[in-house]
Amino acid sequence: MKAIQVFIAFFLTVNALQAQDLGLYWKYKDYDGAIAVSVPRWATFIGASFVDEKADRKLVRKIRKARVLFFEDTSPFSSRDLKKFVRKAKRRGLDELVTVRSGKTNVRILAKSRGSTIKKIVVLFSSPEGAGLVTVKGKFRLDEINRVIEKSRKEGKKKDGGIMIPDVPKVPVIRA
Amino acid sequence: MKHLFFSLLFLFAGAFSAAAQNDAITRFFDQYAEDERFTVVYIAPKLFQLAAKIETDDEDWNNIREVVKDLGGLRVLVADSITDGVALYKSALSKVPTNEYSELLTVRDKEEHVRIWTKDSGNIIEELLLLVGKPDEFVLLSFTGKIDLDKISSLAKVLDVKGADQLEKIKSTKN
Repeated sequence: MKAIQVFIAFFLTVNALQAQDLGLYWKYKDYDGAIAVSVPRWATFIGASFVDEKADRKLVRKIRKARVLFFEDTSPFSSRDLKKFVRKAKRRGLDELVTVRSGKTNVRILAKSRGSTIKKIVVLFSSPEGAGLVTVKGKFRLDEINRVIEKSRKEGKKKDGGIMIPDVPKVPVIRA
Repeated sequence: MKHLFFSLLFLFAGAFSAAAQNDAITRFFDQYAEDERFTVVYIAPKLFQLAAKIETDDEDWNNIREVVKDLGGLRVLVADSITDGVALYKSALSKVPTNEYSELLTVRDKEEHVRIWTKDSGNIIEELLLLVGKPDEFVLLSFTGKIDLDKISSLAKVLDVKGADQLEKIKSTKN
């Protein structure tokens, strides 16, 4: 009897884990050339301590789980896989936000949201240079995401040609 | 009974033909969706809904938010290193159901062709269709949702899409 309970618990856990990445991560993570990283909450929490900016740190701390699957110079995802992936995603409450195809590069961004909180973001991309899947689970408020995007946009502008004022080093001055 | 039957038949036929007309544009998008010469962008209504919920002090963003909150979706088909841009323009032009869309703007400047159509329902503009054809460039852009023509041109600055700058022309036409 206990064996059956353990089996059911194991089956449900495996299924729930697979559901998070809509099967794609689990199908390809052991393929030749795959770089698969699964970051648990405790790791993001510790990792956040090394982030300098307070707003960025706050956002990183909100990550409950992140998974990255990457293939360099190849894309093992078939069009059947992608169709299945999108179908499954929609069934699990993820909405397709953006789809871009330019030449041989394909990018799809999906998200699950409630009100002004994003609970899951999935980015799927494939190009001749590589292909991958990024899944981030957490509770991210839209204004927090926007603040970080705005900040990086401003920093990007500065680097692109605007005037960039470097931080002035604080030199201790001893006055007699 | 006879009346009811014919009314239902007409209703069904009307709905079917409207869907078929709308499909002409969708089919055109689908025809080139996998063509590597083209860049295809689709922004789902959900993204506009989410973007409309972002609150900031940025005045530019607050103006754009007003436009974005009523937008349903955006489809863009762009090709910028082609040789048959004008032929593509003419092909797309022949597929626009002109009885359903009203022409808002037409520009022909040397080799550049620009046309903008709108699809209205009462006082509300439900769709804006932009078509640009140059020998080396082709753009087909379709906005759906509740569109305010006075404000839609402000999106031209935000959208980093080739051809979107043509939306500025709506503003100049209105003035």
